[in-house]
Amino acid sequence: MSEAAAELRAATYRWPGGRGVCGIELRIERGRWITLLGPNGAGKSTILRLLSGQIESDEGEVEVFGEAPSAEARRRVGVVFQESTTDDLMTVRETLELHARLFGLSRGERGRRIDELLDELEIAERAGDACATLSGGLRRRLDLARALVHEPKLLLLDEPTLGLDPSSAEAIWGRLRGLRDAGCAILVGSNDTAEAEVNSDEVIFIDEGSVAARGAPTELTAALRSDAVELDWPNCGEAEVAALEEMEGVGAVRSAPPMLHLTVDRAASFVPTLFQRWGGEIRGIQIRESSLRDAWFQIVGRPLDGAGGS
Amino acid sequence: MSAALRPALGAWAALLQRDLRAVGRSRSQLYSSILFPLMLLALLGAGVSEGLRPSSPILGAGDYTDFLAPGMIAMTAIFASTFSSAGFYRDRESGMLRALLASPHGVRTILFGKALAAVVIGSAQSVVVLALAAAIPGIDLAWQFGWLGGAATVIATILALNVMLNGLALLIAARVRTMQGFHLIMNLALFPLFFLSGAFFPLEGAPDWLRIISYVNPLTYPVDLIQYSCWASSPEGLLGPAVDAPVLAALALGAILLGLRRGPAAAQ
Repeated sequence: MSEAAAELRAATYRWPGGRGVCGIELRIERGRWITLLGPNGAGKSTILRLLSGQIESDEGEVEVFGEAPSAEARRRVGVVFQESTTDDLMTVRETLELHARLFGLSRGERGRRIDELLDELEIAERAGDACATLSGGLRRRLDLARALVHEPKLLLLDEPTLGLDPSSAEAIWGRLRGLRDAGCAILVGSNDTAEAEVNSDEVIFIDEGSVAARGAPTELTAALRSDAVELDWPNCGEAEVAALEEMEGVGAVRSAPPMLHLTVDRAASFVPTLFQRWGGEIRGIQIRESSLRDAWFQIVGRPLDGAGGS
Repeated sequence: MSAALRPALGAWAALLQRDLRAVGRSRSQLYSSILFPLMLLALLGAGVSEGLRPSSPILGAGDYTDFLAPGMIAMTAIFASTFSSAGFYRDRESGMLRALLASPHGVRTILFGKALAAVVIGSAQSVVVLALAAAIPGIDLAWQFGWLGGAATVIATILALNVMLNGLALLIAARVRTMQGFHLIMNLALFPLFFLSGAFFPLEGAPDWLRIISYVNPLTYPVDLIQYSCWASSPEGLLGPAVDAPVLAALALGAILLGLRRGPAAAQ
């Protein structure tokens, strides 16, 4: 087994007020991409903060490149936070210059590395502009450039494309894929199932501070039928659920009132039958190709808030 | 230089340069820090000197504007310190502080770097006011022990005062989460303390209750030391460096050490 870039063993952290994470097991190797998938408040950011050394675990062990995530260990770690961390009074180049200096890069290294990142992330034209004038997408690119300035071997990213338009988001994902291929370990906290499915080697479902499931996206979706059906059905009782499960071509049915979720072999033949029997009781329906979003509903038993993709 | 100290020095230099740039770019903050004390010196000094013509023997041959100048130098430090601390809140709210803490430096190294930058900026602004007060023809500073020694003492006092204020600001930031709350505390605590420090009226001859309050007021000692070094023509009526210097040094050291100790809570 190759060296772990980061590892959590039975890690537990409780915030004042009781939220946090409990007994988290996680191992990420270089050149791998893991996505922590879960709703807001599930504990993804807490895991990332444990690994970046911003907080210390109450119980269990946290290691980054084989040692506790000390200030020194952060030399090999890059962090992109959920919110942009740019200072409106600084220019793009000054922002990168400051962080390069904090990481101890020499003057020559700084110049070379900053020019390289400005070009790669296509923000060179705005290098002299104040951060206050940047769009949300450009700010996120700058956040990524800041996290990459010291050429980290482990990248921790918390919702790196939140609020971005698809082309800006794809520019960031594309760059991250390149880094993964170059051997960087990438750990992303996200609730975007479409992104997680496309990019991740492994997805870990985090629900209420614990691991609900883990595996490659194909493993997590393996038990699903080909089409997913999500119903808004407030008065659906146990009898209706049992009747649905007995229908041919229907997989497991999950009820999270008023929602009902199931996957089927062919939605085109299932839906007419469904409406013939219960059409008057169903208020709404969503049909899509089964994906990680549906694996979440099936495993956790409720929808993933703010889930992207379909 | 030890290998452990070199990275910290590099980080402090980077943070200082960043905060100096920020002050240079927020001109209104810079101007108000310097111009407000000067305006107060001109208006209040002239108004009281000419309008009330105070005849206290403490003022000697000078007028109230001369007496007010040391207080305005201290006031500049208070204003600058308040603005610097507001910058700390801005960094915390914008997430910049978290980004700084993701660097390979401990939280206290980063907080010390920010406090150092605030001390340098606040002291530089106070020195500008000192220089202007010394250069304005209408203000007569006695420099009883010569201007060189006096100026050096005033600058050392300004530095210690800024260290104390920034330590205090870190302590407040560890407790008070919002910038509005911070400004409220500063207005409620610092301004009454400043009014009771002897900056606006001599404590010699003040009622006993007021003098007792002033002796437990941490701002009394730097104000007294600045008055002693540049304004007073004799040591009479002032506490003097034998009292001021050790008290101020202890307060500055205590405040910054406590501030750095509690600082990690401020950075969360």
